[in-house]
Amino acid sequence: MTALLIGAIIYVILDFALLYRIFKGPTAADRMCAADALDLTTATALVMYSLYTGRAIYLDVGLVVALLGFVGTVFVSRYLEGRI
Amino acid sequence: MNIAVTIFLVIGAFFTFVGALGVLRMPDVFGRLQASTCIATLGTINIMIAGILYAASSHMSAGVIVKLILFGLLVILTNPVSNHALCKAAYHMGIRPAKGFEPDDYAEDFAEAGEAEDEVKEEA
Amino acid sequence: MNKNRFTDWLSTFILCFLFWMLLVFSVQPREIILGIVVSAVIAMVACKLLIHESAFYLYNPVRIVLLLFYAVCIFLIELIKANIAMARIVLSPGLEGYKPGVIRIRGAKNIKSLYGLNMVSNSITLTPGTITMEVAEDEQGDNYYYVQWASVEETDREKAGEIIKGRMENWIGRIWR
Repeated sequence: MTALLIGAIIYVILDFALLYRIFKGPTAADRMCAADALDLTTATALVMYSLYTGRAIYLDVGLVVALLGFVGTVFVSRYLEGRI
Repeated sequence: MNIAVTIFLVIGAFFTFVGALGVLRMPDVFGRLQASTCIATLGTINIMIAGILYAASSHMSAGVIVKLILFGLLVILTNPVSNHALCKAAYHMGIRPAKGFEPDDYAEDFAEAGEAEDEVKEEA
Repeated sequence: MNKNRFTDWLSTFILCFLFWMLLVFSVQPREIILGIVVSAVIAMVACKLLIHESAFYLYNPVRIVLLLFYAVCIFLIELIKANIAMARIVLSPGLEGYKPGVIRIRGAKNIKSLYGLNMVSNSITLTPGTITMEVAEDEQGDNYYYVQWASVEETDREKAGEIIKGRMENWIGRIWR
């Protein structure tokens, strides 16, 4: 179904908008916020692509990307707060 | 069934667009965090529902549907934790909005935290 | 005490193993053996973090049904309303209505357990427009949430609490009593 492929492409285009914020963002917290959103959009795009091609391996990749993004965001924000 | 899948995909893409536009347009970190919650909630849930409908209608295995549900559950459970940690870290770094917070009860009740930050900066 | 720790471990182990079986979704013997080993190790580490009340507190079927009802009927409606409000702020030309503020709201008296406090603050954070920054307890035993709000409509704290929490807190008090 082509709508899934078009949705994945739209998500990747939105990724570039977030990437602009990562390069430009004035502080480290801005960059981390945009990176967290980028993780989620990438994982969702992978889920849609896996449904389009019918190969379940991309679904696993999307799950792991979402999980690692969460862990990375929590660690970096702990570091910025000065607890580590 | 295809029409339902397309409708859910369009709604999800719209809310993700709103979230990404908010991350670009908002003037400070706190507004960006609030806008990026849109991506994690309705953006992901709608894609998940569309994926479940598509997988059920095209006779995929049940493992795919279970994995999609787990994906949505995982995003919903982990996103508030990272948002809360990032918001608190930004506050403790000393970032404030341009006009300041209008009522700021946190600074009144946890005054020692803000002052300690200021002293550290002066020493440095 | 020793027996108590074992039931904690057992309840965490069942949860981990269920999650593993759902994720793998096959019944080959080598997957099952690997799952048992991995969830036993994880449950040893995580049982202190997950279990605060009696060990099988989480497996009450009435509680699971109430939790599903809350997630589908109550929370989803609040989520959609908050998302549309956020979309209206972002899509307006000059970001009208964006007035950030940190406000202190008081939690309900019947929510004392850590699960309940955690779920109220996560529900507040998950609706776009509000983020919980801190949960604190004063001398009288009342719990206060410090909420960072994107569009402050009401500076009076009681009315602000009504607007932010809405119907969510009543239902969470019914689940984790």
